[in-house]
Amino acid sequence: MSGSLKARLLALALAATVAVWAATIAFAWIDARKEIDELLDAHLAQAASLLIAQTSGEVEEIDIEHAPLLHKAARRVAFQLWENGEHLRLHSVNSPQTPLGSSIEGFSDRVVDGKAWRVFTAWNASHEILIHVGERADVRKELAQELAEGLVGPLLIALPVLALLLWVAVNRGLRPLVVLTDEVSKREPDNLAPIEAGRTPREVAPVIHQINRLFNRIDRSLELERRFTADAAHELRTPVAAIKAQAQVAKMASGEDTRNHAIDLVLAGADRAARLVEQLLTLARLDSAGRNLLQPTDLRKLAVMVIADLVPSASNKRVSLELTEDEGSVVPAIPGLLEVLLQNLIDNAIRHSSEGSTVVVRAAPDGEGALFSVTDNGPGIPATERESVFHRFYRLPEAGEGGSGLGLSIVAQIAEIHGARVRLADPPTGTGLEVTVNFPRRSAKSGI
Amino acid sequence: MRILVIEDDSLLGDAIQSGLRELGYAVDWIKDGIAADAAISAHGYSAVVLDLGLPRLSGLELLHRIRSRNDRTPVLILTARDGVEDRIKGLDTGADDYLAKPFDMGELAARLRAISRRASGQVESVVRLAGIELDPAAHRVVFRGQPVALSPREFALLEALMRRPGRVLTRPQLEQTLYAWGEEIESNAVEVHIHHLRRKLAPESIQTVRGVGYLIARDNDG
Repeated sequence: MSGSLKARLLALALAATVAVWAATIAFAWIDARKEIDELLDAHLAQAASLLIAQTSGEVEEIDIEHAPLLHKAARRVAFQLWENGEHLRLHSVNSPQTPLGSSIEGFSDRVVDGKAWRVFTAWNASHEILIHVGERADVRKELAQELAEGLVGPLLIALPVLALLLWVAVNRGLRPLVVLTDEVSKREPDNLAPIEAGRTPREVAPVIHQINRLFNRIDRSLELERRFTADAAHELRTPVAAIKAQAQVAKMASGEDTRNHAIDLVLAGADRAARLVEQLLTLARLDSAGRNLLQPTDLRKLAVMVIADLVPSASNKRVSLELTEDEGSVVPAIPGLLEVLLQNLIDNAIRHSSEGSTVVVRAAPDGEGALFSVTDNGPGIPATERESVFHRFYRLPEAGEGGSGLGLSIVAQIAEIHGARVRLADPPTGTGLEVTVNFPRRSAKSGI
Repeated sequence: MRILVIEDDSLLGDAIQSGLRELGYAVDWIKDGIAADAAISAHGYSAVVLDLGLPRLSGLELLHRIRSRNDRTPVLILTARDGVEDRIKGLDTGADDYLAKPFDMGELAARLRAISRRASGQVESVVRLAGIELDPAAHRVVFRGQPVALSPREFALLEALMRRPGRVLTRPQLEQTLYAWGEEIESNAVEVHIHHLRRKLAPESIQTVRGVGYLIARDNDG
């Protein structure tokens, strides 16, 4: 779409006007031609009947040979009286010497001496005298032309005036659009308050409504972003504060032990800050992750890979990892993200497990879909907290070290991208936590 | 000076505790709000470092509880949230000072000294009594114009006595000043430190109230 709405409206209105005018003029002209023809034909017939009436007696008595021209227009009208249709007895000044018409009564169009004539032919009652009354055909044409010019002339003057008036009308009619444009263009980029609908016409109101809806959505997502950025910055302050404080302790420490301990904790703090930054980046990537990139991914294979990666950190804590025997299942997924989900859940389980225990991982078909679950025997999550733990930066009061409060919220978001559901439950036996991710359907390639 | 640190982050809490100890203070460290509430009512702390984002009982709720039972223990809020409104809310709830993370250990100690000084009604940071000049910030003691070298515990003991002139401090009270929780209290430690102080200053500087405790008399008392 391009071009000016005003110019378009103006052009359309003018075109419509001109078309209607042209049609009107054409009809008027055709009608006028017809009327002129009928009128002048009637005059010819009348003139003929007058001549016949006058010649009802003796032709000789008529003293109008070479009848004088009484009016300048009369030059265009001519008559001839033929005795027995053979001898030209009488004719007007402007009449040619050759017969104007045939001997057949009635109207005819003829060309005599290179000039077009409209002729009325009649015999007198005694059938002795043939009368031709003719009129030059161009008279009619001129008359019609004059009439047409009379019609078109004023229009040619009126057209520019009309165009001007239409321009003003279009401008006034489109004023609400101009006002709207002004309102939007004058806005500061951060002003996302809704546009006042006010007295806007029906046609513009939906546009304003949609713009306001868009504003509202942008405003909300900006607000979320702002809050998240603020939260993230605050979350980073604590490890940074710890690093700084520990470094200062190391600097002023009087004993070697205190200094070494402080330096160890400086490193631990840096690790934690790095981990937090890593998770923030993961979340940022999730926010912009395309949801149309799902591809068939082997859940079980991925689980094996992630478990293999985590075995070292598990054995550091003397925790064993176990993947139960199940059929493989392929789910539509973004492999990179699904890997992060598995990693987070298994890593969480390891960190909360007690020494010597086993973390059980399951990846299996489940009805139409598939499930992935991780079970640990750690402290678990109280039922009342099971919703809050998915909130960003939420930490359980008893949470151990190094938790950023982001792990489960990352899991939840990845699950949402995959249309999967995350459930927290007590494990079938003993204490701990069982996290289950249900994928609603398996991939087409899994053969279902 | 005995200080309570209420901080749920283990790295930061450890750092504050070690740092303040290095500066010669007895420091207790608690990670959650409810336990901190009990500790504050049980012991008389010179100052409290309070993080706002605590599990179980938020920092502001804890502060509100302390103040509503008319406890005037000086409290310094330590937090990642340092917006003007956060600070106003914290101070209005009854905090004496506000410090944003990350902070400087030296500044934290100075602010703690300042709020505890104000709480005990002193304007000057240097305490002068019975010919003794004690400067908590510089950790320096001058007696009759001569600088005196004191160990951190001797210094802490002298400061406690000088901050309450004319009042008897019992042995358990003095032990609390010297030792944080978990530190092993050596038997007779207070007696030993008092003995050393009398030797380094003058025998009459610290008076004994037999069976009760010790005091440093007000200047106009004698």
